[in-house]
Amino acid sequence: MTDLDLPAWSEPFVGQRRAELEHLGPFGVLDRDAAFGGSDGSGVRVAIIDSGIERDHAAVGGRLIASYRVEPTDEDPIVVEDPEAIDVVGHGTACAGIIHSLAPGAELISVRVLGPDNRGKGANFAAGLIWAIEHGVTVVNLSLSSRSEALFGLFHELTDEAYFGNVLLVSAANNVPGPSYPSLFSSVVSVAAHDVPDPWTWYYNPRPPVEFGAHGLDVDVAWRDGGRTVATGNSFAAPHVAGLAALIRAGHPAATPFEVKAMLAATANR
Amino acid sequence: MSADRRRRLERDALSLLEAIAVRAEAGRRLQGDSGRAVLRSVVEATAALFDAEAASIALYDAASDRLVFEVAAGVQGQGVIGLSISPDQGIAGYVFRTGQALALSDVERDPRFGRAVAEQTAYLPRSIVAVPLVSDERTIGVLEVLDKRSAASFSLRDIELAAIFARQAATAISATRVERDVASLIASSLRALAAGEEPRTAAAEAIVAAATADLGRDDESGLWALADAIARVRTADPAQLELVTDILDALGRRAGRDTRRRRRARPGSDAGEVR
Repeated sequence: MTDLDLPAWSEPFVGQRRAELEHLGPFGVLDRDAAFGGSDGSGVRVAIIDSGIERDHAAVGGRLIASYRVEPTDEDPIVVEDPEAIDVVGHGTACAGIIHSLAPGAELISVRVLGPDNRGKGANFAAGLIWAIEHGVTVVNLSLSSRSEALFGLFHELTDEAYFGNVLLVSAANNVPGPSYPSLFSSVVSVAAHDVPDPWTWYYNPRPPVEFGAHGLDVDVAWRDGGRTVATGNSFAAPHVAGLAALIRAGHPAATPFEVKAMLAATANR
Repeated sequence: MSADRRRRLERDALSLLEAIAVRAEAGRRLQGDSGRAVLRSVVEATAALFDAEAASIALYDAASDRLVFEVAAGVQGQGVIGLSISPDQGIAGYVFRTGQALALSDVERDPRFGRAVAEQTAYLPRSIVAVPLVSDERTIGVLEVLDKRSAASFSLRDIELAAIFARQAATAISATRVERDVASLIASSLRALAAGEEPRTAAAEAIVAAATADLGRDDESGLWALADAIARVRTADPAQLELVTDILDALGRRAGRDTRRRRRARPGSDAGEVR
C-alpha cells in the first residue's frame, strides 16, 4: 500500500510494521498502574462532537448529562439544547458507548453537529468545538474532521485555544487524501485504528502525523434505536483513546493536555 | 466601428462558436456519457477486486439535497440505481457529511440500518464499507461496497483500498464536470448572442468585436476570453450590464482616440503608446 502514495494511517499499527514502533521514550518509570490505577473517570466531562447520543441507550449507562445541537442561522451557527437527545445515525452513540466502557465514571455531553442542514457543515462542526472548549469539558472526542481549506485558520486557532485552555482534543485520523482538520494538527491527539481486538491495547507512533493506534477493527459498538453493530474505522479508535485520556485526567487532575499525551505515549504497548 | 463590420464580426463569432458546439456534441455522442462510463467501470472494478456482492456510487445533488445512487455493479446492486437518500441519515449520509470512512459488518443487528433503502432494493447487506468521494477538498459523494464474499467483514486495508477507487471516481467526476461546464458555456454563449435582447446584444457585440480582433494573433486566449466574457454578461444583473456597457463604450472611445493619435505620431516616437 505504501507505494501507492496514500496516507495509510493505520499501517504503522498493523501486523509486522508494529515492530518499527519501538521507541525508547524518557518515561521508563511510568507504568499503567501509575497512569490509570484506581481511576474510573469520575469528575471528568467528555464532550462527543458527532451525530448525537441516545440518552437511554444501555451502552451509555445513564452518564449522558447534557445534549446540545448546532443550529444553523443566517449568520454563524448557534449551539442550543437538544432535550430529545437523539442520534441521527448511531455513530455518536457508538463513540459514547466506547468511552463509557473504559471510563464509566466520566460524564458525557453530546454536541450534535449533524442534522438536516447540509450547508456549512465545517462551520457547524467548528461551532460545536467552540462550544465544547468554552463549557468546562476536559476531553473532547472528534471522530470527524473538516476538509475546508477556508476553515484551516479557524481550526488551528481553536486547537491552540483548547490546548492552552486545558482541553484535550482526541481526533480520528482521516484515511482519505487531502486536508483534514483538526486531525492533523500537532496539538490534538490523533488516532488511527489497529487490528488487535483489545480496547486496552494501544500504540504510540513516534513518526507523526498520526501518533496513536487503538482498537478500531470489528468493534462491537452501540448503534441507534438501542441497537448494536460491529464497526470498523478510525472513528472507533479515537473514542478508545478519549476514554483512556478521561481515566488519566480523573486520576491526575493537574496534568495538562501535553502531559496526558505523554502519559498515553509512555504507557502504550511496545 | 461601422455597423456593417460589427455585424460581420458577430456573425463570424457565432459561426465559430457553432462549429465548436457541433464538434463538442459530436464528441460527446461518440463517447456516450463518458463520466458515467468511467464511474461504472470504477464500481465494476471495485466489486471485482473485493469479490463483493455489490458496489455503488452515490453523488450529492445540491438542487434536491439528496444523495443519488448513480451507478452500481453486481447483481445485488442494480436495484439501487436511481434511488436517492437524505444526506443526514444512514451510513452513506454519515460518511458524506463527515468525510470519515467506515465499515459495518453486522448490519442486520442494527435495527434500522438502511431498512427503507434495503426494502426498496430488495437486498439487505450483511457488511458494508463506505468511503467519501473527495474532489477539490469537498466531499461530493460516497462509494459503497457491500458484502465481501470471502470474509464476514471488511479489514482496515479494505477501507484504504476502497479509498483508492473513490479517488479514481472523484477524478473522473471532476473531469466530466469540466467537460460539461465547457459545453454549457458554449451553449449559453450562443443563446446570449442569438437572443437579440437589446442591452445584451449591444454588450455582446462590443465584446465580440474586442475579442475577435485578437483571434488571429492569439487564438486560444481570444476565443476563451470571448466565451467566458459572454457567459458572464449573460448572468449579469441589469445594473452590472449597464456598467459593462459603459466601460466598453469608454474603452471603445479611447481605443479610437489612441488609434488616431498613433496615426498622427511620427515613426519611432513613443507618443500615443498608451496601452
